[in-house]
Amino acid sequence: MLQYLLSRLLRAAVSIVMVVTFVFVVLRMSGDPATVIMGADAPPEAIDAFRKAWGLDQPLWVQYFAFFEAVFSGELGRSMRDGRDVVAVVLERVPSTLALTIPAFFVNIAVGIPAGVYAALHRNSLIDRCVMVMAVTGFAVPSFILAMLLVLIFSVTLGWLPSAGQDSWRNAILPIATMGFGGAALLARFTRSAMLEVLGQSYIRTASAKGLPWSAVVWRHALQNAAIPTITIIGFMLGGLVAGAVVVESVFSWPGVGRLLVVSVANRDLAVVQAVVLMIAMTMVAANMVVDVLYGLVDPRMQGQARAARR
Amino acid sequence: MTGITRRHLLSVSAASTAAFAMPRFASAQSTERPAVTVAVQRISNSNTLEMLTEQSNVGTRIYTSYAETLIGNNWIGDMSLQPQLATSWKRVDDQTVDVDLREGVKFHNGDVMTAEDVAFSYGPDRMWGGGTVEVPENVKVVARQALPAFERIEVLGPHKIRLHNSSIDPVLEGRLSGSIGMIVSKRAFMEAKSWMDWARRPITTGPYAITEYKPDSVLTLSAFDDHWEGRPPLRQVRFVETPETASRINLLRSGGADFACDIPPDQIATVEADKRFKVVGGPINNTRYTVFNKSHPVLANPLVRQALTHSVDRNLIVESLWSGRTEVPRGLQWSFYGDFYIADHENPAYDPDKARALLRKAGYNGEPIPYRVLNDYYTAQTATAQINTENWRAVGLNIKLQMVENWGQISEGGPETRGIHDWSAAASLPDPYVQMSGSWGPLGSPWKSNQWRNEEFGKLSQELGSSTDKTRRIAVWRRMLQIIEIEDPAYVVLHRNASFTAKRADIKWTPAQSFVMDFRRHNWSA
Repeated sequence: MLQYLLSRLLRAAVSIVMVVTFVFVVLRMSGDPATVIMGADAPPEAIDAFRKAWGLDQPLWVQYFAFFEAVFSGELGRSMRDGRDVVAVVLERVPSTLALTIPAFFVNIAVGIPAGVYAALHRNSLIDRCVMVMAVTGFAVPSFILAMLLVLIFSVTLGWLPSAGQDSWRNAILPIATMGFGGAALLARFTRSAMLEVLGQSYIRTASAKGLPWSAVVWRHALQNAAIPTITIIGFMLGGLVAGAVVVESVFSWPGVGRLLVVSVANRDLAVVQAVVLMIAMTMVAANMVVDVLYGLVDPRMQGQARAARR
Repeated sequence: MTGITRRHLLSVSAASTAAFAMPRFASAQSTERPAVTVAVQRISNSNTLEMLTEQSNVGTRIYTSYAETLIGNNWIGDMSLQPQLATSWKRVDDQTVDVDLREGVKFHNGDVMTAEDVAFSYGPDRMWGGGTVEVPENVKVVARQALPAFERIEVLGPHKIRLHNSSIDPVLEGRLSGSIGMIVSKRAFMEAKSWMDWARRPITTGPYAITEYKPDSVLTLSAFDDHWEGRPPLRQVRFVETPETASRINLLRSGGADFACDIPPDQIATVEADKRFKVVGGPINNTRYTVFNKSHPVLANPLVRQALTHSVDRNLIVESLWSGRTEVPRGLQWSFYGDFYIADHENPAYDPDKARALLRKAGYNGEPIPYRVLNDYYTAQTATAQINTENWRAVGLNIKLQMVENWGQISEGGPETRGIHDWSAAASLPDPYVQMSGSWGPLGSPWKSNQWRNEEFGKLSQELGSSTDKTRRIAVWRRMLQIIEIEDPAYVVLHRNASFTAKRADIKWTPAQSFVMDFRRHNWSA
């Protein structure tokens, strides 16, 4: 198990370095931060002064090694826009994002998995068709459209809920509903497929033939075996918790990590973008590791496969 | 035993004294004044509220509510200079101005404004560096660009200062109305941990004080009841950042906002279909134009640039994209220039035949000309660029439209790779020198980056800035317009920019001729 974990950790570290390197290079190749931040009217001396102050006048490789040196010494830099420590800038947005993503995550699971299981168990029934229509709709309709639709109904027409901002808990309802619907639809779709595949297996027939009650067959045999693909999707959702939702946060003017990322990329606030990407990459990698470990626990054959592959 | 000790009594006494000494901010209990919420696309580009770091249209919208300059502008009237923190000013000579300061002005921290604060606001710690505080390099450059020949401020008394310039400046008084000249509390500035800490929460004198600022989210201003004009009309002004146009309109329609800014022309009818709302605004003192790069081998030839200027159909843009709600100015000048407004100046006419003839004369053979465009950084920018591109192609110009993401990409590559891009120009002073010479003269960025230079124009620009002979200055200005727009075009003027704000119909509020939002007493009733 330790060797299994170590190999995953090494792979995770490589993934993080690759992601951060990619973002580091792309950001610097796609627009000079000095011009973006100082504006179109800024005189060339101001641009030069800005570049010098932030080390942008140095060769790319010098900047790159300076960045990693700083990261390993725990210094992620300061925002080019307002001079604040980027860790503080990013961390102050995390609670806002989690206030949306955690409830949405639970909505996803609480609605998506039961809906998928129920649809699979009642295949081709009216309810199955309804669940699938909702799932495909939730999956296909862009969150921007869904968000606007919810705002038009619940804010503009009915006047029940605020349409934007972060003044009270009521402001969170529509963004959570938007994210919850899309995520639940995805989970329902995958859970249904996984369940249908498992329900067609011979061991399910054997369990039924043994005289086990159908509920026991479903709980003990079908659900556990169908959990692998569902856990994969949940892992991705878990990893995305701190990344926020770029579109939803923009539509609902919610000042979370997603909005910070959009604004920082647009302004080429390099240190902030790098800090956000580093955080998201680490969370994603951590979530993937948790999923890997869970695979091993849910399906012990996985550990055996890993061992066999190493031999 | 009551449990009340001498220490308790002293602390209660001290708290009471402090409560009386502190500046008075409005509270819900003490007043029936309304609070308004304004949905804006951005609050601040730089995440700071200090105008030395926030030189932008969005910054212009908010700063007049919380900050003031010595000399103000009549934003909703004739744009004339108005007394603000200065009650009067007088020229001593071509390089010196005496300013009498308003008495009894308080900062939001309760301090009374003195000449020392004014001198400090224009001093090395805030603007120039070399004092006791480390000033960011870009701040020094911005300050020097806005006040190119500023020398010092001499304190003549508690409420009198003298401004010394190192050279003749015909618009010195006007420069004191610039946003970077907001007067700040010396004590509050020196108490801040650093320049940037200060910039996020400046202490100033405006009718509303900053009570909360969450970058990229919300700016809350509360009425400053000790303001020298008296109690402001609103208890609170909240600017809520709502980047999406649809979200801003929905926020207004759902009652979450009283104003929604930056409404595109094509959304005006939709908003006004609901009688509870009205869209106000129109042309502002900002002109959209498209600029040329003389360093590009094809555009080095003025005949090609003239052909470009003669194939722009301004009326088509104004009618189709702005529903006729803006206008085409007579070149890069504004009617509030007064005697400096050249009323008979004509834009290059839309004349495709003439453009084709000019291209033949230039020997143009279809060489590609890059045109870099940001995706609607300006209202309807992409559609405008597409109209222009098609018109240019129709006369035989091989325009390569390149959509880019940011200003850094506009100026990427060597000068020869940059052809055409969009820009805008604003003016707030009744004199062309600051706008035209600042943007296009030897101190402007196009000149410095070798995008456009013209020796005669450069000399005239310097004369416009140093001569005090008004008749001569008007003649110089006329010639400058002729050079830069007709003979050796640096740009082609498209139309005046327009700003539209949707608001509750029951609110009586007049938009300014700029991005400024004026919430003072003279501009509010509901």
